Amino acid sequence: MNLEIILFILFSVIAAASAVIMITRANPIISALFLVLNFACLAGLYLLLNAQFIAVTQIIVYAGAIMVLFLFVIMLLRPEHDLTLQKKSKIKFMAAAAGIFVFAQLVYIIFFFSPNASQKTSVQSSINSGTIEQIGTAIFTKYVIPFEAAGYLLLAAAIGALVLAKKKFE
Amino acid sequence: MNIWEIIVITLIKILIVFTLLLLTVSYLVYFERKISAWAQNRIGPNRTGWKGALQPFADVGKLLLKEDIVPVNASKVVHTLAPVIALFVAFTTFAVIPIGPDIKLFGYNIQLVAADVNIGILYVLALTSLGVYAITFAGWSSGSKYSLLGGIRSSAQMISYEISMGFSVAGVLLLAGSLRPYDIVYSQSGWLWNAVIQPIGFITFFVSAFAETNRLPFDLPEAEPELVGGYHTEYSSMKFASFFLAEYANMIISGALIVTLYLGGWHFPWLESFGLAPWLVVAIQILTFIFKLAFILFFFMWVRWSIPRFRYDQLMNLGWKVMFPLSLLNLVWVAIVVMYIKP
Amino acid sequence: MENLKTLVDSLYLLKPEIAISCVLVLVIIMDLIMDKNKTFLPYVALTGFIITAFLVVEQYFFKTSITQNLQKLLVIDAVGAFFKLIVILASCLIVYFSLISKEVKEAFDRHGEYYALICGMVIGMFFMISSADLIMIYLSLELVSLSSYVLAGFTKNSLRNSEASLKYFVFGAMSSGIMLFGISIIFGLTGTTNLLAVKSVMAAGGNSLTFLFASILIFAGIGYKISAAPFHFWTPDVYEGAPITITAYLSIASKAAGFALLIRFITLGYVQQIDASGAWQLVAGSIDWKKFFTVISILTMTLGNFAALWQDNIKRMLAYSSIAHAGYLLLGVVVLTNQGLSAVILYFIVYAIMNLGAFLVVMLIANKIGSEEIDDYKGLGYATPFLGVCMAIFLISLTGLPPTAGFIGKLYLFTALIEAKMIPLAVIAIINSVVSLYYYIRVLKHMFLTRPQNEDLVINTSFAEYVIVLVLAVPVILFGIYFTPIVNLAKNSVALFLQ
Repeated sequence: MNLEIILFILFSVIAAASAVIMITRANPIISALFLVLNFACLAGLYLLLNAQFIAVTQIIVYAGAIMVLFLFVIMLLRPEHDLTLQKKSKIKFMAAAAGIFVFAQLVYIIFFFSPNASQKTSVQSSINSGTIEQIGTAIFTKYVIPFEAAGYLLLAAAIGALVLAKKKFE
Repeated sequence: MNIWEIIVITLIKILIVFTLLLLTVSYLVYFERKISAWAQNRIGPNRTGWKGALQPFADVGKLLLKEDIVPVNASKVVHTLAPVIALFVAFTTFAVIPIGPDIKLFGYNIQLVAADVNIGILYVLALTSLGVYAITFAGWSSGSKYSLLGGIRSSAQMISYEISMGFSVAGVLLLAGSLRPYDIVYSQSGWLWNAVIQPIGFITFFVSAFAETNRLPFDLPEAEPELVGGYHTEYSSMKFASFFLAEYANMIISGALIVTLYLGGWHFPWLESFGLAPWLVVAIQILTFIFKLAFILFFFMWVRWSIPRFRYDQLMNLGWKVMFPLSLLNLVWVAIVVMYIKP
Repeated sequence: MENLKTLVDSLYLLKPEIAISCVLVLVIIMDLIMDKNKTFLPYVALTGFIITAFLVVEQYFFKTSITQNLQKLLVIDAVGAFFKLIVILASCLIVYFSLISKEVKEAFDRHGEYYALICGMVIGMFFMISSADLIMIYLSLELVSLSSYVLAGFTKNSLRNSEASLKYFVFGAMSSGIMLFGISIIFGLTGTTNLLAVKSVMAAGGNSLTFLFASILIFAGIGYKISAAPFHFWTPDVYEGAPITITAYLSIASKAAGFALLIRFITLGYVQQIDASGAWQLVAGSIDWKKFFTVISILTMTLGNFAALWQDNIKRMLAYSSIAHAGYLLLGVVVLTNQGLSAVILYFIVYAIMNLGAFLVVMLIANKIGSEEIDDYKGLGYATPFLGVCMAIFLISLTGLPPTAGFIGKLYLFTALIEAKMIPLAVIAIINSVVSLYYYIRVLKHMFLTRPQNEDLVINTSFAEYVIVLVLAVPVILFGIYFTPIVNLAKNSVALFLQ
């Protein structure tokens, strides 16, 4: 076994375990904590795939920004007393069914269909395509239209957030 | 070099950096007290050892022997986890900061950095953004309103200033054309440091660094008159000391980052023209780095004892309405430099 | 670098999008600079929209189809230009509506944000209409959704308004999440997000079961936008709670964009070729869209029509009626032929005019009597004969009775169905139309056959209101009698499609 496989097993086991723990905790703060751990492990997996830039972005954007805002909301709303969702076993059952269905679907795709079997890329080219230079070039040339669209999306979101934040109720 | 040699060398480097960092931190506390005494016309610690030189060790001993109190309302695991995160972030960030050029030792070519990664600066930004968790969790898990307020204030502050910090760094990256700390240092050899080329970015980064480290004048998370002790009100003993350590370690890292990004790293102007022996050049360069770092650290403390604390709304206004637009302006300026002025 | 150069060379294809972006930026900057006086902002937006409309008309005559130049991300063609035209004209009218709406005028001081978000929606819808890539589809859909969530909760600071916004958001987030999951599966299967490339990978022998599953997941996102049956739950609450201008806007523009996206998605991703008779041949192994849409459209129109029977709030009733109309419009897609497509286009012209008209009258009446309950409409036909008659015209047209334009629209839809030998579906649709007669006529009954509660109530109509109502009411009658121009427009739009 080489180092890569050991690291892969390590990261993926932690990621899977933390995901399961995240959805089973009653306390939302603990859930959020494990979600952060999950994101960190995902970043590790991205690193193993030679996608360094995406790995770091994963940490900065998801763990560093989005989850902090989540924590803010959770802490200020204090929903730990509100356990109604926990008691609804019907919802739990449906969620589990949906999860299993999706999981089966993914297993089916990966093991029986092996979509990328025909696409072999060398390690070197995958390292190159993961660098920030390559990603920057792709974003600003080939994908510049989606990039601009994403810019408008964020602008609209910012304006919308301001509108909602300024709203006062009678 | 095979993989095992690399691992061993890296481990040795980590050990050295870690020890140095710990020592420096404890003496920083001593210097802080001495400088505050100087600023306020007092004497400062002078009992333990020569002029109080052993004071840091006495402090550490005291903190270790104190009782570790965990409040009843606290969430125990998270309460313990918070200082660990703080220390982890503080010490791992140093891994990518180079303190000198490559040296040759025992036939090995050794870089004076623990990890030379090509996304080094992003790594630093990622870790500092994780640092928010330490404070937020500390505030929440204590189960006390003062702690919670301190924690939330601090995260809001850090998120706000992270933006202007990121944009200031973008200016540096644009000029260097790389995210590797080495390349950034090499891009400002001679006297054309980034602080000279992009003074606005330098100032915004400097101010944001103050806010990110929660130092005065931006130490609202622990503002004593309003919040008792802020997010670490409910901490005692070694856990409290961990936050303390982390704060000073963060200061060192901010200082080292400022030196690397804006003050030319280890570069000493016109050093090559003196015609010195290679080993002497390297030694001077390392000393240059340390001197620059020391000056920045002194500046941090100087500011702390000279400038009063901001009010919270002033802090937010400064962050969003002054620093953020200024850092954008700086980015535009750097883009102009890259397009039209730089050969 | 070459990529960038070809892109810059083909920027002329994106003129409308660029123009509308400039309007957005202009509105924001003017809002910022002109601190106090903001009355001219709507005129800025209106002017920008009219200029954009001209650029869209220009685009209608471009002879390009799939564009290599835009990295195969966007398709610029006549069908797309037609839908863009519907969107931009509806936007112009909505800005005009906002000018005369008391609700909008009274309740907010944030004109800048309001018009900026409308511009954002228009950009999103333009991209949605022309996108040929799953990334573009998702981004544009999300742009439209985000802007409309906020607009739905914009004017009144009441709970009902906020509830509308929140419900819209929760449903929207849910369905776009489902859609994103579908997209990720397709990307995993084919290694590309481009619809044409996806089609060719799938045609070369793909995995039909997983592909089918992913296609249905993606349809969830589109179905939410056009409020098709299992994804329609948000519609009544949002239409009722949102400011009426936005309700009208959502029911026309966002639905038009949704349909354009649906047609684009099917034709680019699943249609192998169009044969001489204009029928769309699906890729082997793809999901059987014909059966799927048949079920969806029957569900949609039946649910919409029957739920509308019990509504007492006229906005809610119109919401269900718009769900039903989505069902009718789907009939044109079901047949998967060019005839069906031209019927959809024809119906959209008609639907846009009559639905906007109905909402306009409701808004004008709400301006005066401050209510949207059908019970409060008693005797209004006597208080304001002009509005009453116009309302009658719009509602009769929505039912689909001659001599209005609604009849022509339905006629062409049903003809397309019968030509494709789907008689049972046509029968179901006709039965649905008959059901819809009941709730449309109920409003008219209240207006004309009951005595007014308040005999002194007189509703005055200003000149500006007269003009705009007539602008919408006259075409409804005119196109009902002389319909050759719109039929030709629909046929011409389709003529160049995918060849």
